[in-house]
Amino acid sequence: MAIITISRGSYSKGREVAEKVAQRLGYQLVSRDVLIEASDRFHIPEVKLVRAIHDAPSILDRITHGKQCYIVYIRSALASRAKADNLVYHGLAGHLLLKGVPHVLKVRIIADLEARVAAEMQREDISAAEARSLLLKDDAERRKWTQTLYGVDPWDASLYDLVIHIHKLSVDDAVEFIVQAAGRQCFQATPASQRKMEDLALACQLKAELVKQDCFELGVTSEYGNVVVYVNKGGRHAYHLDAKLAALRAKLPEINHLEVREGLPFPPAAV
Amino acid sequence: MPQLTTDMILVMAMIGIAIFLFIVEWVRVDVVAILMMVVLPLLHLVTPKEAFSGLSSNAVVSIIAVIIIGAGLDKTGIINRLVGPILRLAGKSQSRIVIFISLTVAGISSFMQNVGAAALFLPAVRRISKTLKIPISNLLMPIGFAAILGGTVTLVGSSPLILLNDLIAPFKLKPFGLFEVTPVGLALVASGITCFVLFGRLILPGSKGQEGEQAATEQAQEPNHLLAELGRPWELSTPEDFTHYREPVTVDNLRRRYLVNVVALTEPPDFKVLGPGPEQEVRSRVDLVVYGQEKDVLRMAQEEGMTLKPDLEVFKGELAEHASGTVEAVVAPRSHLVDKTLNQLDLAERFRITPLAVYRQGETYRADLGHLPLRVGDAILLHGTWRRLQLLHEEGGLLFTTPLDTEQMRPEKALFAGLWLAIALTMILVFNIQLSVCLMTGALGMIVTRVLTIDEAYQSVDWRTVFLLGGLIPLGIATEKTGTAAWIAHTVLGAIGTVEPIVLLAVIGLLSTVFTLVISNVGATVLLVPLVVEMARAAGADPRMAAMVVGLATSNSFILPTHQVNALYMGPGRYRSVDFMKAGSVVSVVFLVVMIAMLYLFF
Repeated sequence: MAIITISRGSYSKGREVAEKVAQRLGYQLVSRDVLIEASDRFHIPEVKLVRAIHDAPSILDRITHGKQCYIVYIRSALASRAKADNLVYHGLAGHLLLKGVPHVLKVRIIADLEARVAAEMQREDISAAEARSLLLKDDAERRKWTQTLYGVDPWDASLYDLVIHIHKLSVDDAVEFIVQAAGRQCFQATPASQRKMEDLALACQLKAELVKQDCFELGVTSEYGNVVVYVNKGGRHAYHLDAKLAALRAKLPEINHLEVREGLPFPPAAV
Repeated sequence: MPQLTTDMILVMAMIGIAIFLFIVEWVRVDVVAILMMVVLPLLHLVTPKEAFSGLSSNAVVSIIAVIIIGAGLDKTGIINRLVGPILRLAGKSQSRIVIFISLTVAGISSFMQNVGAAALFLPAVRRISKTLKIPISNLLMPIGFAAILGGTVTLVGSSPLILLNDLIAPFKLKPFGLFEVTPVGLALVASGITCFVLFGRLILPGSKGQEGEQAATEQAQEPNHLLAELGRPWELSTPEDFTHYREPVTVDNLRRRYLVNVVALTEPPDFKVLGPGPEQEVRSRVDLVVYGQEKDVLRMAQEEGMTLKPDLEVFKGELAEHASGTVEAVVAPRSHLVDKTLNQLDLAERFRITPLAVYRQGETYRADLGHLPLRVGDAILLHGTWRRLQLLHEEGGLLFTTPLDTEQMRPEKALFAGLWLAIALTMILVFNIQLSVCLMTGALGMIVTRVLTIDEAYQSVDWRTVFLLGGLIPLGIATEKTGTAAWIAHTVLGAIGTVEPIVLLAVIGLLSTVFTLVISNVGATVLLVPLVVEMARAAGADPRMAAMVVGLATSNSFILPTHQVNALYMGPGRYRSVDFMKAGSVVSVVFLVVMIAMLYLFF
């Protein structure tokens, strides 16, 4: 009864670990299908979403909100899945997308660079030097991406509950550790933590709907379905927020109470 | 035409810095004033003696005395007693009520700080609105504007006018008498009130002609309905198995979950807790009283298996009207509560008072109240026993729009207060003694006759105003002494050519209005008076008249809710900035026209 996020680099065996953990625990496995669901729901070509979650946001995209809105959609899709509990997510930044939910076991899988180089050489049929430079470039991109969007370094071990280096430890060892950790009391969903998950999903969903209607620069919080939408000064009028929220409120019955706060600093917990 | 000197450039640079800081508000306006007080002598633009002469000026001493006299009048409740007779005179028609109360407020405001007079009437206006079922938004704005306009009736009515004599002194002009501005001021008050009586329907929010009237009024009153609904107590009891197999339920849990506020509950075996803290647990088989919207209360009762009682039973006595209730408190201008959150104030732990909702700019906030930084004009709906509310009131910073009966008044001293005010006025009018001396006599008299204690007098003085005035006066001196004022005046007049005195006055009035909206009224006065005096001299107009236009027009602050009175009434009146723009622009234009016409006719 837990949510496990596995953050991984390319060729780090993270996918393999995730699949085996899901199989052992009988949990749902989520990765790219989250993206597909997101694009289905919001009619965005999947390829754009993949780029959004991979390439570091360029200056242009930051101005036009391009990548940020894709992230919103992905986050909403992941959160609505995680609401059902018993889930293994593997991919970048899952732990960041589900920030604030207590019963999430955050794992990072890293692998020895030489082993990754060898794996990439084999699969792509390229030289060692090429493979190494590709991998390093890929790592740098992912690092930049998390830093720009969340202001943290994915290599910072303190972001995770477990960091497992696949080198001397095998994939099966890693699976064993994760399954054990997932069974601990602290990762079991309680009514309170489950409620937090549902609130996160609701806030993400509302925000995604608003972003879809071209309302950017918003912060949304939810507590027991009591939703507060934060908007910069003047934004409420510019976005015709009241009318849009009235329509969305009818669409989202989970919303129990809705308030708009204009010109106030967004709280850190806001999505 | 004078030559441009280095000193002049320095003074202009200082003026530029002052205006810039006034607008961006990196530091508070009074700190800007103190900065001027310190930097000007360092740059040798004024002598050290001149730099601090502002603090001993007629203006600063007068304003200290006016504040003390105002506090004395407030303390005796003399003003509250005026309300009854006025209402009897006014009857039940909205127009008559607006006229009578506005005139009274204007009258009081002409001898008190405007915001003080406005604050005094807030509870009374609220009560009138409730008993006569007139939307409060129809009353507060005219009354607030009247309080501002009342400041133009006498020379001690508002800070700019108090400053005027000190600012024209370096130019060797004859000082103004206390009532020299009165004809113009009265015309301004009259025209302001007339505006609302005649065009109130058009310019006040919530009344847009005949057609949409119904809907608009309903809309304007909706928040009031909500507040009324929030102000109803519900008594419930928890079931036998309430705490079984679950984490402890606290008062805070219920508030976060259902947006209902627990104001009283029983603790086994038979304790009654009023105003429980957020951490207080709600146990099985207890009775509790909550405030909240009906749908939320019903949802809680259903989901938690609580039994809703038709009426208060257990807490009938404790929550009876004579013992406790809900009040609306407004965050006062310059209150220490500004920018603090309700969590930081911790009213529940410190006073056993429960905040129910916050009202700001047309919005009622109920969710996540604890993290909301308070602003001037926010109206907070509070519940508690009258005694506790009284303690909170004494701490200051909040203006209660519902009067607390237990307020410590000294009505027996009303006679003395009135007497000393009369003595001060007689000294000014009959014996022609300097303003500051007369007013200080009145203030001292009130202290000696124990209308208020000397400590209360000290506490009532607003140091921010004192230093704002005292610090900006040297800037005025420097502008005059270095010839900067003369230089700018000549340059401007050289550019626009010769103009009719009346046109010049109109332009000065307009300029002052713009300045007072952007920077503070005192700042505008200090910067403009030396300038316009020189301009008037060069253009052959009366320099005293020009100075008077500045002193009056800096009170023409209606378009934005930047004036303290407007900021104060914004929350209780449920106004938005747009409402001020609509009504304010009409009143502002009328103000300028009437002022210029009066000056033209009388002088």
